[in-house]
Amino acid sequence: MTSLVLTITETLRYRGKLGQWAWVLHRVSGFGTLVFLIMHVIDTSWATFYPELYAKAVDAYKTPLFTAGEFALVALVIYHALNGFRIALFDYRPQWWRRQADAAKLVLLGTLVLLVPAFFIMAGHVVSYYNERVSVFDLGLEKVIEATAPFAIGTVVVIGLALVVSAGASFIPSLNAPKKQLKGSKMETFMWSFMRISGVLIIPLVFGHLAMMHLIQGVFDLTRVGHVPVFTNLGPNMEATLTAVNFVRLRWDTMLAGVYIWRIYDILLLFLVVLHGFNGLRYIINDYIHNRVVNRALRLASFGTMIGVLVVGALAILQSVPATTAEMLSQTSQVLIETNVNLLVR
Amino acid sequence: MKATIRIRRFNPEKDKKPYWATYTLEDCEPTNRVLELLHRIKWEQDGTLTLRRSCAQGICGSDAMRINGRNRLACKVLLQEFGENPKIQVEPILGLPVIKDLVVDMEPFFAHYRAVMPYLVNETPPPVGPDGKPRERLQSVEARERFDDTTKCILCAACTTSCPSFWANGAYVGPAAIVQAHRFIFDDRDQLLKERLDVLADPDGVWRCRTIYNCTPACPRGIEVTRAIGEVKKAIQAGKRDF
Repeated sequence: MTSLVLTITETLRYRGKLGQWAWVLHRVSGFGTLVFLIMHVIDTSWATFYPELYAKAVDAYKTPLFTAGEFALVALVIYHALNGFRIALFDYRPQWWRRQADAAKLVLLGTLVLLVPAFFIMAGHVVSYYNERVSVFDLGLEKVIEATAPFAIGTVVVIGLALVVSAGASFIPSLNAPKKQLKGSKMETFMWSFMRISGVLIIPLVFGHLAMMHLIQGVFDLTRVGHVPVFTNLGPNMEATLTAVNFVRLRWDTMLAGVYIWRIYDILLLFLVVLHGFNGLRYIINDYIHNRVVNRALRLASFGTMIGVLVVGALAILQSVPATTAEMLSQTSQVLIETNVNLLVR
Repeated sequence: MKATIRIRRFNPEKDKKPYWATYTLEDCEPTNRVLELLHRIKWEQDGTLTLRRSCAQGICGSDAMRINGRNRLACKVLLQEFGENPKIQVEPILGLPVIKDLVVDMEPFFAHYRAVMPYLVNETPPPVGPDGKPRERLQSVEARERFDDTTKCILCAACTTSCPSFWANGAYVGPAAIVQAHRFIFDDRDQLLKERLDVLADPDGVWRCRTIYNCTPACPRGIEVTRAIGEVKKAIQAGKRDF
């Protein structure tokens, strides 16, 4: 922690140029996005596992505090995406370094240029929502606490458990041997490339996601009667009042050219973003937390949460596959297995 | 011309914490260097002020310090850059333990330097000259040019101690050590390429660099530091000298 405090105070005191501030913004925006991502994946999975809870979560997302948070999130994601592209570009073309400051300015400008219309469209949703509502302006603090409390408790429990495990692991001598000399790490070498390549791949996916789910239709549209989710087939449920759970199902069940286009899109986005985000968190932990036990505990907690988020997110998308399709798929795989077995037996 | 200088002072035998001390100097010239002002304070006002310097010509790299918020060599900064009646703030470079006032313990920095094996390794016998005696290993102009920039390093630590990754984690080898490694990685007479790349692919090697670009403007020799680090990263990814 002292290392984190020192880095913050000295970064504020050191007269570094734009590159230094771009890095500060990149860390802050990445961390903020990851915190939201964890919540977002888990609560969206409720649409499959706990439909009543999901309805409550969407209600909470409509409160002013979360609305402010959504504006912040969009700003963070856009900056992180553009600046990440700049970092990847100059990492693969180090000889262009003289242009990096111009590029950092361009990133700020680009963020502004994208944010103005984005905020304008988002504000439109907010205004029309409050115009339709007669009730008084309510911060919805209770709902916010209700929706976030499980995550706060979960964080404390996960870190607490990880600390216990990590303290136990400190009795294993081989885990505590001091490092003797520098040695190449295949994992770090791979991760460096992965962060840059996945980052660039995420940009179109996440921009598409933001446009569809936060700009063209906002959280307020999820339960609006008669709202047709964008880029979906008009399902048979459209006649009924739209609920948040229905919205998610309608979207995921949309087929394009015989495939569940949004299920594939969301799985791809889920894996790339979660792996990218949690590896970023690992960088932050290793940079600032040097106490062996705490460092190991936090990495363990972070890794466990990553696996949990991936599993929960993927299961939510896959388990909600309509029974008929699931049956069809299982029959197909049955046939395939039988054919293979037959071939093998022969 | 009057100059006001704030110096971050610390005497481990007396002080619990570092503190700021302010000194005023009359009759300064715009062409005075910050190092000369520090000398005058030590010689005229307070003999206990402690700092390192040797050549005072920007060659030895002893007097790197943080001047008005940025890492510079005190012997290369002229007063005129700060305008009429300049106010100057001087403090030790960050990330290495302070021994006294502006003097830091450079040993962790040199340990990182040694870790990258900063010497040429070539096991083949040297070529023989017309007189039958061993002679130097010749190299083409282009091959020498490849690493010319990184031969200019004077190990002053200005780059390494300007790096937020190094402030956060002193285990990171830091920009200066990577610049020194670059000088041998891209030297076609060297035979230790694989080992060099392996050392720098350590989690505390080049991968701690976040491409922040603080190191490049900090270099008093004008070395393209971040570029050199980037080239080493690419060499590791490619597993060879030419990527």
